[in-house]
Amino acid sequence: MNKVPQFFKDPNTEVKDMFGKTISKKCGVITVAFLLAFAVHLLPSFATDAFAKEAFAEQVFAEEAFAKEVMAEEAAEGEGEPQIEWGQDVFYKDWEGNPLKGPISGAPAPELGENDYNNYEFAPSRIIIWVANQQHLYFGSFVLAVPIFCMLIEFVGIRSRESDPVMADKYDKLAHDLMKVSLTAYSWTAILGGILLFTFITLFPGFFKYMATIFRPVMHVYALMFLAESGVLYVYYYGWDKMNNDPFLKWVHCSLSVLLNLIGTVLMYLANSWATFMQAPGGIDEKGQFLGNIWHVIHSTLWNPVGVHRILGNIVFGGGIVGAYAAYHYLTAKNAEERAHYDWVCYVAMFICIFGLIPLPFAGYWLMKEVYAFRQQMGITLMGGIMAWLFIIQAVMIGLLFFAANSYLHNGMARVKGSHRYMKYCKYMILLLIVCFTMWMTPHTIVMTPAELKVMGGAQHPIVGHFGVMSAKNTAVNLMITCTALCFVLYQRANKKITVPWATIGNCWIAAIFVGAAVNIIYLGVYGYFLPANQRVGLSVPQVSSTLTALFAGVAINISMFKDSESYGDIEWGTQSKVGTYAIFLLAISFTWLMGLMGYIRSAVRLFWHVTEVVRDNSVDAYTLTIGEAGKMLSFNTLFVWTQFVIVFWVASLTAKKVTSEKAPDGVPVPAQQQQ
Amino acid sequence: MNKTLLSLIVFVATLGVFHNVLFPIFTPKEVGMVMNRYVYYLIMVLTVIFLHLIMKIKPAMAFRGLMVWLLGFYFYKFILFPPVPWTLFITYMMLWSIGTFLYISQDPITFREFREPIVRTIVGDYKFAQIIVFTLMPFLVGFGTYKALYPTFEEPVELRTVHPAPPATTKVHGKTYALEGLQNPFRIAEQDDYQDSFPFLDADKSEYMKHVTDGGSLFFENCHYCHGDQLNGLGMFSHVFNPTPANFVDPGTIAMLRESFLFWRVSKGGPGLPNESTPWSSAMPPWEEHLKTDEIWKIILFEYWYTGWHPRTFDGESSITLSE
Repeated sequence: MNKVPQFFKDPNTEVKDMFGKTISKKCGVITVAFLLAFAVHLLPSFATDAFAKEAFAEQVFAEEAFAKEVMAEEAAEGEGEPQIEWGQDVFYKDWEGNPLKGPISGAPAPELGENDYNNYEFAPSRIIIWVANQQHLYFGSFVLAVPIFCMLIEFVGIRSRESDPVMADKYDKLAHDLMKVSLTAYSWTAILGGILLFTFITLFPGFFKYMATIFRPVMHVYALMFLAESGVLYVYYYGWDKMNNDPFLKWVHCSLSVLLNLIGTVLMYLANSWATFMQAPGGIDEKGQFLGNIWHVIHSTLWNPVGVHRILGNIVFGGGIVGAYAAYHYLTAKNAEERAHYDWVCYVAMFICIFGLIPLPFAGYWLMKEVYAFRQQMGITLMGGIMAWLFIIQAVMIGLLFFAANSYLHNGMARVKGSHRYMKYCKYMILLLIVCFTMWMTPHTIVMTPAELKVMGGAQHPIVGHFGVMSAKNTAVNLMITCTALCFVLYQRANKKITVPWATIGNCWIAAIFVGAAVNIIYLGVYGYFLPANQRVGLSVPQVSSTLTALFAGVAINISMFKDSESYGDIEWGTQSKVGTYAIFLLAISFTWLMGLMGYIRSAVRLFWHVTEVVRDNSVDAYTLTIGEAGKMLSFNTLFVWTQFVIVFWVASLTAKKVTSEKAPDGVPVPAQQQQ
Repeated sequence: MNKTLLSLIVFVATLGVFHNVLFPIFTPKEVGMVMNRYVYYLIMVLTVIFLHLIMKIKPAMAFRGLMVWLLGFYFYKFILFPPVPWTLFITYMMLWSIGTFLYISQDPITFREFREPIVRTIVGDYKFAQIIVFTLMPFLVGFGTYKALYPTFEEPVELRTVHPAPPATTKVHGKTYALEGLQNPFRIAEQDDYQDSFPFLDADKSEYMKHVTDGGSLFFENCHYCHGDQLNGLGMFSHVFNPTPANFVDPGTIAMLRESFLFWRVSKGGPGLPNESTPWSSAMPPWEEHLKTDEIWKIILFEYWYTGWHPRTFDGESSITLSE
């Protein structure tokens, strides 16, 4: 029989949470508030109709355009001849559903010929621009993600200064270390951006000229924002130590990280507008002539979904890289202290990573819905046509991410004292994951030989054939996310003995929320088979709502139950299993590959267009790669960027070594658990 | 007695009895709600678990992992019916193997337990097992190589594009149609209002059912030979085509597409497919050479009415004819 340690009976004993931080009511409230704020932030993103219509913006623009039109007509009547030429927008519509009119303010899109393209002998221009673009995006993604982490980690550190100064220092040091790496990566990103720009100008001069004409003001604003980003970044990083001691200055410093993230987000959104314009243009007429409203050009139909998708993707990617970095150090650590530290860093990185991973598929669905709404042809090319097999590969990669995340959580839970109460459920969660993943991965059109076709009796299998449509896929992915959320809830409470008087009621609520969510998701999934496709798409909203409700409400109730809880013992940092640690590498590498894949799919769906239906790609490279060739390029990009990351981390570590040699060993914070 | 050995005996015996005795009983010609292969499988798995529980046998983790893996293999190989194609089988088994690995490696203790016999076999603690494994391994590799190199005469598998992307516009009988926003001109009423009506019988009662009746007549004159009289893709000629004709009852075909897609697809047939699909990915003739535009639309109307599916729509669509 397990003996309850003596200190459990001491009411003054501090209880630590999964971060090793002392739990107080205040912190619990803050966490819940954080979660709720994030939920509130996300929900409007999924209210796709409201966004798709952009009702308010449309109203303003339609009125504006109408006024201009009236003025132009008046002017025309007065002088006999119209002075302003009007064009019809390729995307935006007015109140009556007719194309919005705007004054033609630019030259038509060029008919590109041989002279508009340059190339090197060693590789096709398309491949070169792909590599340049992808490498810049990878690094951009990383340097945009790290400030988000630092903001959160520094904030948590400040909040826990009074209750747990040791942990607070630890948080602060981690945020500082991450910023140091980010600083090196920032210059690297800028260099890669320069290479990308030069590649564009030199290899695709005709096309770049057109883009520069349309986006001229945006490009200048982008450059200025880059300047602002650099300024804030340097003040933030180099002012760290100076602003560390004074509480007011520390808050100012933390606020700088908010500003840094705001500028970073604007930067990303501006750069996104170029890509989304190329894929689904707006603000121009069918000849490619600019219609005078730069906001229409920026704010084309895919701008918002791509932006949200990228923010979440950046968080997961950044988390994966930091996690892999920490995992490497964990595996090669020379002493227990180091091992404990990097184990903890792995946990923080994975926590952030999974936090971003959970809503990511929803953002993806929103993006795909908007793509379908923009052009059926583009949607079919992606999901049923030439890109469909790449989506199957995507399904495999997403499954791997969920497996890696769950494997980490299971292994992480195993090292927590008291987790034996929940470890027995792991196998059932794995079974659910596998069943869902099987549904998720079953293709609609199965690859088979004629003999197999005859045996099966038709192109669709009578049982697994039902898994090939979106009703099944939505159900599967929502269940996978709900299962991961449940796993996290169990992880959180693994070392806690719940003592609140309403413990039974709380547990029942958590069980009811998760079971209810699962039942609702399955019911809606089955119901979807009996609905028309356009209504079936709408079912994804209540399905997603069920998942998010289970996630946020489940975690919130769970955290509330930790009040006055007793501990079975703190987490023994530094004892994570190797399998759990390797899972982090799997997650990081898979996500890098997946990012490249989805980027390729999103870009390649334009097929032979530079700007869909406006600027035709007349280069010799206007072909779609075979799946194998695309896979090789993706693998190359992944390896290449990871090589660079290794170099960047090595460069950043050079400073660390210098500091370590100068400072006394007592400067290294000792994990709180090991101090007891 | 060694628990793992006992577990092995229980497992093999249960599997043997179930497969040879109960499997034929549970797979009659007329499949019922209870008497079917999936219920059989469920009972078999529960029996294995139940026997282990009442006999209090907890075998070594490596064997537990093996049992889990074998149960998955048995399901995909013998239970799932009709048999899935080889590519899907491999995919499913890969997933099941990953799941088994997650089960084994869920915590360091189970993983250590799992590794123990493997490591002991390799280092020579289990001498007999080591001899067997190290002798069999080269033969297995050799057999695999032989199987891989042995020439086969089957048609190679093909990554077929099932719904090739349509062009932005299509020209049928001299008119150019923009597929974006193009709608069926005969969809003059809500389809669901006519669920209980019948073609021919109710053709005179409403204009809508008259169009459906016309479409039905045309379908049975031209299309049902391949697409089947129940629109399930199993027409009398269907078996000679690869890929087989589309099954309209399946939720993954016309239920997911706009009518404009069908209009383009029917009009242009196999020869009109884009480059991503080879001409032989569809044997359908270009029906614009045999049917009038209105007749194509009516057939499409009938297909949706018959199957009960609704064409995919997005808000704000309107019929657009670009030029004549």
